Amino acid sequence: MSYDSEKYKITEAKEEIEGVKFLRVKCNLNPAPGQFFQASIQGIGECPLAPCSYNKEYLEILVRNAGSLTGKICRLKKGDFIWIRGNYGKGFPLDNLERKNIILVAGGTGIAPVASFLDYIDKNIKKPGKILVYFGFRDEKHILVKKKLKKWSRKFRITICLDKKTEKNNYEEGFINQIIQKSRLKASNYLAFMCGPEVMMKNVTETLNNLGMKNNSIFWSMERRMECAMGNCGRCLIQDVYVCKDGPVFRYDKIKPKLDNEESSNKILIDGK
Amino acid sequence: MKILEKSNLMEFLKNLSSKYELISPIKEINTKFQVINKSNFDRIFLDKITEAPAKSFFIPENEALLNFGKKISVKERKRIIFGLRNCDLNAIYILDKVMHDANYIEKRKNTILIGLYCENPDEYCFCKSMELEDSEKVSDLFFYSKGKKYFVSVNSEAGKEIVKNLKESSEKLKFKVKNEKELKNKGIKKHYKNSIWESDAAKCLSCSACTVYCPTCSCFNIEDKTEINFKEGERVRQQASCQLKSFSRVAGGKVFRDSRLARFKHFIYHKIVYFKDQHNKYMCVGCGRCLRACPTKIDWVNTINLLLEEENRRKK
Ligand code: FES
Repeated sequence: MSYDSEKYKITEAKEEIEGVKFLRVKCNLNPAPGQFFQASIQGIGECPLAPCSYNKEYLEILVRNAGSLTGKICRLKKGDFIWIRGNYGKGFPLDNLERKNIILVAGGTGIAPVASFLDYIDKNIKKPGKILVYFGFRDEKHILVKKKLKKWSRKFRITICLDKKTEKNNYEEGFINQIIQKSRLKASNYLAFMCGPEVMMKNVTETLNNLGMKNNSIFWSMERRMECAMGNCGRCLIQDVYVCKDGPVFRYDKIKPKLDNEESSNKILIDGK
Repeated sequence: MKILEKSNLMEFLKNLSSKYELISPIKEINTKFQVINKSNFDRIFLDKITEAPAKSFFIPENEALLNFGKKISVKERKRIIFGLRNCDLNAIYILDKVMHDANYIEKRKNTILIGLYCENPDEYCFCKSMELEDSEKVSDLFFYSKGKKYFVSVNSEAGKEIVKNLKESSEKLKFKVKNEKELKNKGIKKHYKNSIWESDAAKCLSCSACTVYCPTCSCFNIEDKTEINFKEGERVRQQASCQLKSFSRVAGGKVFRDSRLARFKHFIYHKIVYFKDQHNKYMCVGCGRCLRACPTKIDWVNTINLLLEEENRRKK
């Protein structure tokens, strides 16, 4: 068990959308879709990140400027270095994906692991089944990895759901769960993989349940506070499971009772606390 | 077994401290483990369990995991910790299951552990309910006390070396820890949502004293510290507490264990349920330090006992 990081060179850096930076790092770690790594700048700190594509030679990452470390990462330029240790965690289950019907759902920056999964399917699955992709963003200005989406849409059915449409286009308006509900999909012969805010995942899961999907066919990629990424610091515990080590991807029927428990005690406030 | 006259103990310890870095319980404002030198030798305190545990000798409150721009290598002197009670040893047995990093392993390897039989558990002690037998597995030497003598069991080569000059004894002794307090049953898994926890949580100030004084609580932060020149610095591990909101706060502000009740129960359940499920070992050693340190005197052991009593009553 080691906290040592390696130094990697940034070969491309651009503003993806306002407040979100896209970086390409020359690095052959090649995390499996859903796995993550710890990125750092010495003297500032570390944070968990997941790549938004699947690639052996480089890592492509999206970083939202949300604090001193991510702010600093967002200011990195081509030719700068970033420190990385990884890979960590268990990603999406990759066995028996041939001919499987799959629904992929992601919202906001939660798109990264799901996009990398889609990239993996694109590159490694010879005979994919029906692949339905739903990505949710606030509006047109917040759409991430547009170019990749365009490329993938030649092969897969990608639906972009915007909370609010500000122009005429063929994106859908509404939350992902509403759009899926409208599709009247027969969900029982699909698997679903998702990442994003928990409320979103919860709503989508409910909709998929209504359309006939069981919880053991649904996989959530979870977010929690992480420090060590190695099942040691205790920060990422959801009851007895470590998000960093046992997850971040969990089969929903297995993680649900633990989430329900924690939520139930979060709802009970004593003197407002 | 070896024998040491109690009247010769100080002489024995003085001897150790000339060869090793000796750490022992002392009494100052509070009672705690400390490195012994000439100035505090007379404050060595062996009458009772210490208020503060010995964990900081293995997981210091602040500790560099990495250095940038500077290389430091400190070779520590071989250390001995004397006066560890069964609960303290049991706690180290648990830490060995939790901590796997190079820093910890080096410190552990560099330390000889000498146990001391606990003659006078107090009203907070319930160590006997908490798999006390495992504590024997980690000590190099263990001092049992009887009358005017210590009977020393030798559990390792390193221990053997230390007591090689002591007299041999062929006596077979049996010792029993006498706790009044008990954790009667640990079957609380299915009672997570029971409202009984709310009355304890209502008393909780989220002050984190329980986790600070707990000998097995070892959760941490990782933070970077830089020198004023911005070129040198270190990545530091700092002890953290699940009782604070910051513990589960992520970028963007969401706190995953937001209510006092959720945090309070996380402590109890980690100790009694979660760790046991993973390691087949309770994470609580029954030292009672959390109970002693609690400013509002929450007695969660009693709460569990009540909970299970009630369950039994309902079954009948
Ligand atoms: S991040 Fe440290 S235990 Fe999971």
